Amino acid sequence: MAALNEKKTCSQRMENFKRFVWNPDTGQLMGRTLINWVWISLYYVAFYIVMTGLFSLAIYSLMRTLNPYTPDYQDRLKSPGVTLRPDVYGEGGLEIYYNASDKNSWEKYVTTLHKFLSAYNTTAQHANINCTSEKYFFQKSFLGPNKTKYSCKFTSDMLENCSGLANSTFGFPEGQPCLIIKMNRIINFLPGNGTAPRVSCTAQHDDFSPLELQYYPVNGTFNLHYFPYYGKKAQPTYSNPLVAVKFLNITRNAEVTVVCRVIGTGITSDNPHDPYEGKVEFKMRIQD
Amino acid sequence: MGKKRSDIYSVEIHGTQDPEKTDKEDEEEKYKDLKGNKKKSKKTEDLKKELDLDDHKLSKEELEEKYTTSISKGLTSARAAEILARDGPNALTPPKSTPEIIKFLKQMVGGFSILLWVGALLCWIAFGIQVAQGVASAFDNLYLGVVLALVVILTGIFAYYQEAKSTNIMASFSKMIPQQALVIRDGEKREVSAEQLVVGDMVEIKGGDRIPADIRLIFAQGCKVDNSSLTGESEPQSRSCDFTHENPLETKNIAFYSTTCLEGTATGMVINTGDQTIIGRIASLASGVGNEKTPIAIEIEHFVHIVAGVAVSIGVLFFIIAVSMKYKVLDSIIFLIGIIVANVPEGLLATVTVSLSLTAKRMAKKNCLVKNLEAVETLGSTSIICSDKTGTLTQNRMTVAHLWFDDQIYSADTSEEQTTQSFDQSSQSWAALSKVVTLCNRAEFKPGQENVPIMKRVVVGDASETALLKFAEVILGDVMGIRKRNRKLAEIPFNSTNKFQLSIHETEDPNDKRFLMVMKGAPERILERCSTIMINGEEQPLDRERAEAFQTAYMELGGLGERVLGFCHLYLPEDEFPDTYPFDTDSMNFPTSNLCFVGLLSMIDPPRSTVPDAVSKCRSAGIKVIMVTGDHPITAKAIAKSVGIISANSETVEDIAKRLNVPVEQVNKEDARAAVINGMELKDMTTEQLDEILINHSEIVFARTSPQQKLIIVEGCQRQDAVVAVTGDGVNDSPALKKADIGIAMGIAGSDAAKNAADMILLDDNFASIVTGVEEGRLIFDNLKKTIAYTLTKNIAELCPFLIYIIASVPLPIGTITILFIDLGTDIIPSVALAYEKAESDIMNRRPRHKKKDRLVNEQLAVYSYLQIGIIQSIGAFLAYFTVYAEQGWLPNTLLGLRVNWEDDYYNDIEDSYGQEWTRYQRTYLQWTGYTAFFVSITIQQVADLIIRKTRRNSIFQQGLLRNKVIWVGIVSQIAIALILSYGLGSVTALNFTPLRVQYWFVAMPYAILIWVYDEIRKLFIRQYPGSWWDKNMYY
Repeated sequence: MAALNEKKTCSQRMENFKRFVWNPDTGQLMGRTLINWVWISLYYVAFYIVMTGLFSLAIYSLMRTLNPYTPDYQDRLKSPGVTLRPDVYGEGGLEIYYNASDKNSWEKYVTTLHKFLSAYNTTAQHANINCTSEKYFFQKSFLGPNKTKYSCKFTSDMLENCSGLANSTFGFPEGQPCLIIKMNRIINFLPGNGTAPRVSCTAQHDDFSPLELQYYPVNGTFNLHYFPYYGKKAQPTYSNPLVAVKFLNITRNAEVTVVCRVIGTGITSDNPHDPYEGKVEFKMRIQD
Repeated sequence: MGKKRSDIYSVEIHGTQDPEKTDKEDEEEKYKDLKGNKKKSKKTEDLKKELDLDDHKLSKEELEEKYTTSISKGLTSARAAEILARDGPNALTPPKSTPEIIKFLKQMVGGFSILLWVGALLCWIAFGIQVAQGVASAFDNLYLGVVLALVVILTGIFAYYQEAKSTNIMASFSKMIPQQALVIRDGEKREVSAEQLVVGDMVEIKGGDRIPADIRLIFAQGCKVDNSSLTGESEPQSRSCDFTHENPLETKNIAFYSTTCLEGTATGMVINTGDQTIIGRIASLASGVGNEKTPIAIEIEHFVHIVAGVAVSIGVLFFIIAVSMKYKVLDSIIFLIGIIVANVPEGLLATVTVSLSLTAKRMAKKNCLVKNLEAVETLGSTSIICSDKTGTLTQNRMTVAHLWFDDQIYSADTSEEQTTQSFDQSSQSWAALSKVVTLCNRAEFKPGQENVPIMKRVVVGDASETALLKFAEVILGDVMGIRKRNRKLAEIPFNSTNKFQLSIHETEDPNDKRFLMVMKGAPERILERCSTIMINGEEQPLDRERAEAFQTAYMELGGLGERVLGFCHLYLPEDEFPDTYPFDTDSMNFPTSNLCFVGLLSMIDPPRSTVPDAVSKCRSAGIKVIMVTGDHPITAKAIAKSVGIISANSETVEDIAKRLNVPVEQVNKEDARAAVINGMELKDMTTEQLDEILINHSEIVFARTSPQQKLIIVEGCQRQDAVVAVTGDGVNDSPALKKADIGIAMGIAGSDAAKNAADMILLDDNFASIVTGVEEGRLIFDNLKKTIAYTLTKNIAELCPFLIYIIASVPLPIGTITILFIDLGTDIIPSVALAYEKAESDIMNRRPRHKKKDRLVNEQLAVYSYLQIGIIQSIGAFLAYFTVYAEQGWLPNTLLGLRVNWEDDYYNDIEDSYGQEWTRYQRTYLQWTGYTAFFVSITIQQVADLIIRKTRRNSIFQQGLLRNKVIWVGIVSQIAIALILSYGLGSVTALNFTPLRVQYWFVAMPYAILIWVYDEIRKLFIRQYPGSWWDKNMYY
């Protein structure tokens, strides 16, 4: 065993390595003859081709079993998430921090909102139908064009003062900013059990005067005729209903933490792990 | 390391044989001393002192002066206490053991631990950076780091505990009963503990005592000692107070520490105590021999290198890829951690330890006690066994082997459990011979042993007489009664000048008033005194022809290495020797010539009955058995022949020379399969000559070897790349035991020094147990291969997710914590279960593995596990992953490139393939479901992997699917753990498991079946086309 433990010199090691890379006595390259390398490579190529084939076949048959309109399971989508626009994140999450007199500080919010609402202008929405019913808009069959289902129109003007049409700055310079609350789409989800879910925003710590808010559309509700959602394939032009919140009396030069919840049966907002389930929380600070 | 050892070694050799050279060595040692190597230089000096021992040459007066003591009064208590304080107690210093804390730390940094520590450290660094950046998920890295550190610490503690447990078994061995010695101090005799003895003490010894120190005898009466533990000679050595030989080891007036006094009494002066004794020096010689790394340790190291190499190179490669793909460095570090964790089989080393200790337990049941866990496998890869003769191959007890009477040689049964003897006992000559054997014998059974089998009874008397007594007792029964009926009237005990023993008895026949004189002794001396010889009960004249017949028989028995005794008798005529005749043994007033020769008996220390079979099993297992003994070449050769170490039809050079009637030099050495080498020849041999002998002869006996020479022989064998096992019991064997790859000591006959030096102890002293050990060792090697193959396979399935994650930017398929649950959860019991797998074929019919060619983890094993089965597993697991995502709304094409958005904490309305929008947590929860599905798929496929790993060549159906029940325990445990993790702990968010829909458990099932079918096909081709390209590339 002594021989095994003997320290080899560096040159010996190099020599051994060279021999390993190319052994002129046996014609071996890295421990195999060239022909042997060819054989083993061919075997592996064949092996991997077969394996890739098997995998592709499996994925193909998986795709065949899937329904193109609705996913098989919605185990993780029991309750919709809620998001805020403009969605600008700082160190502590969603932050609406700006200086009312400094255009640069709020311009990004305005741009974001304009960009977001551009999907809701009349041209973008023209493919959708006008819905007036206050009930769920069930569609059993594909009556729309190209075997689709109809989607209800939601245009930005429904947000009235917060539509960005009349006031293109969404009230930012005035210190009465409009923020938009959006509820995530879930296929076949029926929120509110027949009553339209509504948005309700509160300041987390009511140290200041209670929030004075204006919701658009009126009462901050999501009209029921936007539900259920039938999926991208059935409703390619579907757009989420929105609720805009105008903050009328935000205390200047102070940070206010606001929580906006969507209230309605079937919408939970108490999941300790998911801060965006059924509610959205953000901070505001408006400076003079 | 090798260099250092050879230095010590050469010092040792020169220390005893070549005093001139030691000075030079000593200088070297001093030079080393400067480097803080004190221990060794001290030893050199100790060994040099051996040459100075001249106490045997001194007269009593000189001794008294030298040791300032008095032979009659001994030392004074005060003086003794003084010397005790100076020299220390009279006990061997136990071999220095590694401090526990070092052992523990070694476990903490050995193997994969370093890699995992690096992983943990990277985790903490990532945590630190992320905390500074305020990333929400930063704590995940902290926990992961802690988990990794815990894994290292726990597996370290586990391995340490396993080691400690097997060491503890040993601790019980070393506890000795404190020995007492009768010492003269202050002019009084008193019993003191042997440890209290000091140089200059006068001690008294009687038969049965262990010699408490090296003693120069001042007075001795009929004293015989058994030096077998020191020299390997099984014959008792007589001791007297005369200076008989220059060499202190050979002279008769010194008795050595730890040998036993068999009979007689003696008084002597202590000249050396504790480590200064000859035994102590040999023992320290043993501790100077470095501990070799066991073959399995080398294999595991090799394996760790491979895996660590793969882990580090893939890790670094993908780190570079990640960085060049514009990933953040921090992310790349986290990928690196994932790759390391996925690549390192965290639980494997613990599994190996458990498997080894299971085998160790199994071996302990079969009387092989393993001191060092790794030695379990070493025995399996053994290619040469150097066996001591006395006590290992032989019974270490003289037994009558042959008889010669009526001109004929009879063989006696020499087995351990003899109850009858089957040779022809009808002859009158036998009656006469048996009478001589019975009566002319001073040995006696100790009383109170009537129920003990004859062969096991304790006898007072020397070895030959004991043999004769037992022999007579077996055949005639009640020897003591016969002796009583034939009352002894006079006796001359054996002495070295007469070389005979004689006694005169009354006969038991009341009508026969003659006296019977019986005599035994060296055959030629006995024959000289005879004028007649008894043939078939008749006295016939001892003519030339008869004398020649005797000579032939004597030579033949002597040639068998047996100790031959001649027996004769004479009925004294009634008229010359009446009832009242006063026999006087001093003047010998009775005839001692013209006697009647009755027969010869020859004795040998016979081989154990199980040994020949065991030797032949070793042979068929490709293991060379070499006998190394301190005994005479003739005896050694005889025993070697009778146990098959030298097979019946092979010859030594000398045999050929004799047969062809040519001088030894003319014989072609390569014609001789066998060789008997004398220690004296060995001394003059060069290394090359020794190598030549070891290579050219397959059957070798080394006789008359010294402890150092045993060491040389072991080294010689190791130079042939052999894994060498050494068996031995004596102190003289301990250096060789230590030097060997595996030292095997005898549990019953073995000395403590031997047991200390050994890695393994045969509790029943039975050489045959070694064969069992070899079988277990080979089995565990095969099974470890299977375990490793099993464990490595899923590493690919754990690694691929990270690679795909980095390259294709899909949501992470499996998390680091989940991987740890596979490595340390579901996979543990199954991989241990493989240790219970039975051998596939007769593992005792193949050659021992070549320690440099037959690796534990060879290229085929790694490639087959990594690139074939591992890939199938990955595909199966990925299918489950894609299925879960697709059925929940994320089709495979959506997933590609999704990673950045997917992991964006601020993106809470990502659209899936169906247009639904997901918050970050909803996605994370789905990701954990993916983890669980991936985990479950790996587990399910590992079940298939476990089943295919049961065999490497045979079909599973040949091996039996149900034969190894533990495998099924493993499978059940695996699935149970997965069920618990998914459904029981699915709600614990920190573990990243979720309750999985039932059908996802079955997604990977077809791939599990594919694995099984593919492997069956592989094995079928291997069996069908041995030696083919397929066999070479696919058999691991």
